[in-house]
Amino acid sequence: MALTAASITPEEMDRLQANYPRAFKRPWWEQARQWAVWSALLAFVGYCLVRFDAAPGRIWDGLSELGVILSAMVPPTFGAAPSGLFWALLESLTMAFLGTLTAALLAIPLGIMGARNIIPNWVFHFVLRRHFDGIRGIDPLVWALVYVRAVGLGPIAGTLAIATSDTGTLAKLYAEAIETADSGQAEGVAATGAGRSIVIRLGVLPQVLPVMLSNALYMFESNTRSATILGIVGAGGIGFELSDRIRAHRWDEVGMIIIMIVVTVALIDGLSHLIRKRFIEGGKNRPLVRTDEAT
Amino acid sequence: MLEIRDLSKRFGQTRALDGVSLQVEAGQMVGIVGRSGAGKSTLLRGINGLTTPSGGCVRYAGVDVSALRGRHRRDWRRRCAMIFQQFNLVHRLDVLTNVLAGRVAHRSTPRTLCKLFSRRERALAALTLERVGMAEQILQRADTLSGGQQQRVAIARALIQEPEVILADEPIASLDPHNASLVLETLREINRHEGISVLLNVHTVEMARAHCDRILGMRDGRVVFDGTPDELDERSLAAIYDMPRAAESAPEASTPAAAGADAGGLAAVN
Repeated sequence: MALTAASITPEEMDRLQANYPRAFKRPWWEQARQWAVWSALLAFVGYCLVRFDAAPGRIWDGLSELGVILSAMVPPTFGAAPSGLFWALLESLTMAFLGTLTAALLAIPLGIMGARNIIPNWVFHFVLRRHFDGIRGIDPLVWALVYVRAVGLGPIAGTLAIATSDTGTLAKLYAEAIETADSGQAEGVAATGAGRSIVIRLGVLPQVLPVMLSNALYMFESNTRSATILGIVGAGGIGFELSDRIRAHRWDEVGMIIIMIVVTVALIDGLSHLIRKRFIEGGKNRPLVRTDEAT
Repeated sequence: MLEIRDLSKRFGQTRALDGVSLQVEAGQMVGIVGRSGAGKSTLLRGINGLTTPSGGCVRYAGVDVSALRGRHRRDWRRRCAMIFQQFNLVHRLDVLTNVLAGRVAHRSTPRTLCKLFSRRERALAALTLERVGMAEQILQRADTLSGGQQQRVAIARALIQEPEVILADEPIASLDPHNASLVLETLREINRHEGISVLLNVHTVEMARAHCDRILGMRDGRVVFDGTPDELDERSLAAIYDMPRAAESAPEASTPAAAGADAGGLAAVN
């Protein structure tokens, strides 16, 4: 009567397989479907490589050319005007900060309006959500091109580009966070006779604020990187200096700018990690996989 | 035989376990009762090695299992299966895969990572699910099941480990009375037929009385009662729960709110 793997008889196995066939073997059409999906994926990757003329020789030649450029970057130098580079980098950071902050604030009312459990009208929901998709579907670089035309060269264009694109992204993320909020907590507040705005403020927002802050921080990290690029199209910041040096083949200065960008991005990541720890995790930090207790 | 000697556990200033000593004969079904915070969970977790004791030891068949590390400790965990209040099944996996997860200690890691299971293992999983009455749902996702069904799948996962001891930490605290009885009957049936020792934390004294050979009463990290269900009279209940007419109101006494109210009124409830 013992339930052990060793004690199961072949007859017992046959009986169990007859009773629960799908627990032993998936039916042939499911296996065929899986094979078909994987083969199609592989074939598509192969087709893309052929279309791109991605011959191994070409990639190899390109890599050696990359090696030449990399060696030209050593040793990195600041060039004629080091302070100019620092100001430009600071300008990029400011663009990222102001842009993300604007987007994070604008996205709060938009996110609340876009949440299906707050405004359960599917037409309104559909139209608003597609607008979010449209706004964030366009890369900040494209928005930067548009704003450079509209407000002229400089950091204002870059800030507006980041703010526009991220408003769409954050509004969508906030709306989704609100939709996964626990209705019981909102019900608890509503049951006291609170109106709609109070229920949102006291019953819903406390649940989703950590998610909102976390998303905004992530966007800030990401924007610190993309703000360094926006200058290439004239929207201010270090990107302008970078593209200028690349055009002039001054690789040693390019190397220094890249180092500055990497250090800045690392610092911002570290800073946002600290903020996350302080405000979001709230002191508890339980490992997901724990096999032993630290004593 | 499972032997616990002078087991202690401190969390900061709190003594969750304060010198617990007891022996459990092979094949016994032991119910552990007591208020929240009496040390019931810490005791079970100390046996399994999920909590490292501050003092004392746990011996099984003559081996000090609390001193085991690494592979040897994982093997000990395979032999003393754990069942949880919240079932701890993996929601997005089907019942079959959840149960097969209990085989990890018997097989190679790469094969498990690729989810490759043999015909014999699948048969064993199906047989075990038949034993707990859950074979019909074998391909259903775990999160589509009711609480009682999930707990029975969790019992199947424990059984397929081929354990010698089952530790059940509040297995029925999240279930309605009908499902609670069903789960305890399943555990009792396994205890009788497979000869597996069961250590069970329960909030309700009546459930422990109805299903266990032996009852332990814990209070403030110490064992204050150890005897058969018949020996558990009003006086011993009062010693465990510290309430007059304990037989009637004991179950409520162990809810967090009641324990908090004892400790310091409304402030503690928050």
